[in-house]
Amino acid sequence: MSREEIDLIAHLMRRAGFGASWDELKVLEENGYDATLAALLDFPTVNVRMDESLVRRYHTDSSAMMGPSGSPMSWLYGMVSTSAPLQEKMALFWHGVFATATSKMQMGKTVFDQIKMFRQYGMGDFPTLLTRLSMNPAMVYWLDNHDNHKGAINENFGRELLELFSMGVGNYTEQDVKESARAFTGYTLQDLNYFVVRNERCSIWPYGRTTLGFSYDDEDNDKGEKEFLGHCGNHNGEDIIKIICQQPATARFIARHLYNFFVADEPLVPQWPYTPPKDPRAIDLLVDAYYESDYNIGHMVSMLFSSQFFKSKECWNSKVKSPAELAVGVLRLTNEFSHPRREMFDVSRQIAFMGQDLMNPPSVEGWHGGQDWIESGTLMERINFASEHIGNLDAPGVKTIIGAINTNDPEQLIDSCLDHLGAISINEDTRASILRFVDKSNSDKRVLDEELSLNVLRMIVSSQEFQRV
Amino acid sequence: MVSKIDSTTTGLTYSHTVGLATMIGRGFYFPVDLAITSEENMLVLSRSLEIFAYGTRVTVCNADSEFFGTFGNPGTENGQFMWPSGIALDSEDNVYVVDDHLHRVVVFGRDGEPLKTWGIKGNAQGELYGPCSIAFDSSDNAYVSDHLNHRIQKFTRDGEFILEFGRKGDLPGELDLPWGVSAQHGSIWIADWGNDRVQEFSETGEFIKSIGTSGRRDGEMIQPSSVAVDTDGNVYVCDWGNERLQIFDANGNFITKERGRATDSKWAKDYLESNVEEAEARKTAQLEPDVSWLVDDPHEESSYVEKYFWGPTAVLLDKSGRIYVNESNRHRIQIFNRNF
Repeated sequence: MSREEIDLIAHLMRRAGFGASWDELKVLEENGYDATLAALLDFPTVNVRMDESLVRRYHTDSSAMMGPSGSPMSWLYGMVSTSAPLQEKMALFWHGVFATATSKMQMGKTVFDQIKMFRQYGMGDFPTLLTRLSMNPAMVYWLDNHDNHKGAINENFGRELLELFSMGVGNYTEQDVKESARAFTGYTLQDLNYFVVRNERCSIWPYGRTTLGFSYDDEDNDKGEKEFLGHCGNHNGEDIIKIICQQPATARFIARHLYNFFVADEPLVPQWPYTPPKDPRAIDLLVDAYYESDYNIGHMVSMLFSSQFFKSKECWNSKVKSPAELAVGVLRLTNEFSHPRREMFDVSRQIAFMGQDLMNPPSVEGWHGGQDWIESGTLMERINFASEHIGNLDAPGVKTIIGAINTNDPEQLIDSCLDHLGAISINEDTRASILRFVDKSNSDKRVLDEELSLNVLRMIVSSQEFQRV
Repeated sequence: MVSKIDSTTTGLTYSHTVGLATMIGRGFYFPVDLAITSEENMLVLSRSLEIFAYGTRVTVCNADSEFFGTFGNPGTENGQFMWPSGIALDSEDNVYVVDDHLHRVVVFGRDGEPLKTWGIKGNAQGELYGPCSIAFDSSDNAYVSDHLNHRIQKFTRDGEFILEFGRKGDLPGELDLPWGVSAQHGSIWIADWGNDRVQEFSETGEFIKSIGTSGRRDGEMIQPSSVAVDTDGNVYVCDWGNERLQIFDANGNFITKERGRATDSKWAKDYLESNVEEAEARKTAQLEPDVSWLVDDPHEESSYVEKYFWGPTAVLLDKSGRIYVNESNRHRIQIFNRNF
């Protein structure tokens, strides 16, 4: 067993998924890095996650998802139970890029349906993803495209499509924004009037909410000639997306987003026109992957995880875990939600208290992420969450870990705990602190016991290193 | 107006709907079960949502939409519940609510006053792990669907253990996450949720027969939630995973199915009369959109088509044989008459 290979695969599993248990890592190490990556990328054939009907039976709001609370819970069950973590990670990625919130439309289901769309198309070709996005009911309402009419355009979606979803500011003109908006006129919602009247009143009456459906109004679609990014024609929405996807700015924008999410923190998106990428060669590699694959996101992701800049030790543990990454990673270790339980609602709230209210991002810019995840209040939430769950001996995964730790040597005990938490690395200061604690406990009790192992696990997940991915 | 599932029926006549989505006052919020008193009043058990500290309660009303009040509320004290899942009455109309989360039975008097609780979490005889449905036989014995233990337990109405039957598996007489239990006419019927079938047992737990196999065709079912039996032995099944009601004869032969035909309830009409703008918008709304583009997904269909059953969790018959179907996701009860 190669320690270096295990650590590298552990890094991959943390970034492309939510971490891996020690038992999983031992199996993956035998397969090797490339085979592990191939399995992560091949998620359509391997995906098994908790059946949604099982969740629906127990959580009433997850059954209808017509309120704001059920959808994050359902997604959490999916992330915690999935055998295809990269699929969920990509959904999380796109949820941050195409940030859409339940706050405007109340219905969690509409945003959850968008997450399902990300699961299905998030690793496919980018034009298809953008086309699906333009017809996604949550997005239509979130960016007011239902108010975008022939002769009376609303630029919101047309603008964000260029600014935040594909190219970034500085790569198009105000006229391009208007032309883009014109092309997407007629992209609206079923039963718009009834929905808007009810939504304005937060009405659930008489029989709860009904799923929001997309509708295309051909008569309201502006079929006139448009000049968009230098291309003249009677462009419709799909034409606009095709032109966007050809642009070098789009390739670089998506490359930078992927690098920011999976490799290393970049400045906030509004700074991108003024601040060059941290690693221009990495961006170039991803841009090449974009074009050589006809705009395929999966190929870009594959090239990213195969690259030296990703495998480099400088990349390891260099990013702060998002609250969802932290919580899901912990719960996959503890394996305490193999069956729906009421406590999952509490988990979804705790993630929100850590600063990431899933399906309710603060704005269309999504969460800033990086070091912004950490402040005094959220850090306490993160530590308390991880410590509480890893310290729960009733959790099956914790029982397994404790049962596998079989040493009386303090150094070995710490190493074993680090491994069983997913091959975690800690610095010398952290190690010395934990060692002092173990030595003191040892001298008090003269024996290394289950409680001590549990406390070491809790100290590790409370460390600064465990906050990183 | 095209549906993937044919909602035309031959065996049932739609009567009317009772309900309105409310967390307080008249109405229900994610109702999961109902019981009918000797005075023909309905007790509708609402689960509500985890996010709210209210709405979890029992609504007392009748089929004519007369509202009489509520009792019970969320919590862990006497007379409270966290995940109420089933409700039943003994011969004196005392009310028993099972709590899936607290693993216990909460008992109320016929006027809704809290009396006591019984049951503790566990898998030994008499202990409960996720009780989700309860029913009484004519001798006032309670049958509890102890679903995470994959068994049915029989108790006195005071909670003294009598016997148990069923174990995890898919063989005849075995159970997988059973949901609804009914005790009628000397038989115990179980909605064997995880095995896509309903099973009949004697009152002493002997397996009698099974109806249904997995699927969406007539006579097949997916994850049934509730069973009821009429005086002729016909079996009514809430086919939860197919979002429909199915009816079988006493020999298990398929008779008919029902997808749901809800109309505005009296409470809904009252609401719309006092909210004119919403009522006007509703008149122009397409409440039965074309869902033919959905493939093999009744749950999604029901999320679009308002009249369809959505989350049918309980079926019950009153003394006159009327059929009540409780829909959790639409916060209402559709009532039918049989004509077969």
